[in-house]
Amino acid sequence: MLRIIQIYGTMMVAAMGQTLLLALLSLFFACLLGLFFGLLSTVRNRACNIIGAVYVDAIRGWPLIVLAYFVYFGIPMLIQGLGFKSFRMDSLQAGVIALSLNCGAYMAEIIRAGIQSVDKGQMEAARSLGLSYGKSMFKVVLPQAIRTMIPSIINQFIITLKDTSILSVIGFPELTNTTKNVSANVGLPMQAWLLCGLMYMVVIIILSKASKNIERRINRGR
Amino acid sequence: MAGNVKIHVSNLVKRFGDLEVLKDISMDVTEGEVVVLLGPSGSGKSTFLRCLNRLETPSGGQILIDGHDMTDKHTDLNKVRENIGMVFQHFNLFNHLTVMQNLTLAPVETKKATRAEAEATGRKYLEKVGLLDKANAYPSQLSGGQKQRVAIARALCMHPDIMLFDEPTSALDPEMVGEVLSVMQQLARDGMTMVVVTHEIGFAREVASRVVFMDGGYIVEQGTPEEVILHPKEPRTIDFLSKVL
Repeated sequence: MLRIIQIYGTMMVAAMGQTLLLALLSLFFACLLGLFFGLLSTVRNRACNIIGAVYVDAIRGWPLIVLAYFVYFGIPMLIQGLGFKSFRMDSLQAGVIALSLNCGAYMAEIIRAGIQSVDKGQMEAARSLGLSYGKSMFKVVLPQAIRTMIPSIINQFIITLKDTSILSVIGFPELTNTTKNVSANVGLPMQAWLLCGLMYMVVIIILSKASKNIERRINRGR
Repeated sequence: MAGNVKIHVSNLVKRFGDLEVLKDISMDVTEGEVVVLLGPSGSGKSTFLRCLNRLETPSGGQILIDGHDMTDKHTDLNKVRENIGMVFQHFNLFNHLTVMQNLTLAPVETKKATRAEAEATGRKYLEKVGLLDKANAYPSQLSGGQKQRVAIARALCMHPDIMLFDEPTSALDPEMVGEVLSVMQQLARDGMTMVVVTHEIGFAREVASRVVFMDGGYIVEQGTPEEVILHPKEPRTIDFLSKVL
């Protein structure tokens, strides 16, 4: 194991950097997607509710690995077929799209549930004061919903961080993919995969400790 | 007392699915009037009140607030609602905000006032309801009666000219009912136009300029407190009053 760290240590740390890059970009877009589709599911409009539900059902019904293959191999062919011959997509772009779509669906469900957990009277009181739906949502309902959503969001972040490993199948040089190469090169699979697992674990433990802190700080005001 | 008509309701109907809650309600409220709605639970009092500021969408009929047609989809409901304060049974204070922030949120967000102006107004109304010392407290630190007084102050901060009260004392411990009713009484004395759904017969008798008894989605009887509460004519009113008095 020491030999692996000596020779491939910097490479694996760099790969962890790629993993984090992929995860953070995906989480950012997933939050936007989740907020958008989560709100669609809660407004009083049938068409919006259906769009929200279709997104969540469609994405949750697809295994992430299938979604990744589809985005990486399928979408470029589709767009080239439409006449954009020079269209290319690299594995980072495809990875971020697949992971954002996937995580976004779960975030949408978390946000929908969070909004619905806030007493209806809060929205009514805000509307009765003359505030618009949007202002009532963003100033009154969402700030209260966030408190109940935080544990689920953190949980989803951790799942998404680990799901980046699935994107090794489209050749993105993140930690799992890199470990596969390292393991094959040095012929020490036990040590290589143990190191890989420990690296994921350390990052996730640090993240969950940090998020526990945030959670505590937010709840203090209650 | 033939003042301006503030609220004009004609042939209001409200259905929830197959259930017809309001069957045919017509009523005018003039400026400065305090109308108390009485009736057994399920008689449609609260639904009627919630139709007035369009928290419920009427199924038929017309509602004019200061001449604004609340059933017309071109009416800017938010604008009209700025002039209709509402107080709820369960207070509905914004739990993530302090008392002062509860009071200033709507005036600032609707651009009715700058933050400084809104805070000055907020202090004025907090003083009026006797809670100036609670300006920086959170709702969870207040008693039920205090919460409801803050809710009244919050509504007043928009300078409404109509106030709607939806069973404002029903969720309170008995010893806190008085403090809320006395704030409402003060408001009535100041000339506010009020529509109040309540089970407090004593309040109706002392403060109301008109008492309206509703049952089964209809207005059964209305008149001065003396007429309706002390000398009811309709059997259903007599029956109801004999149970609550």
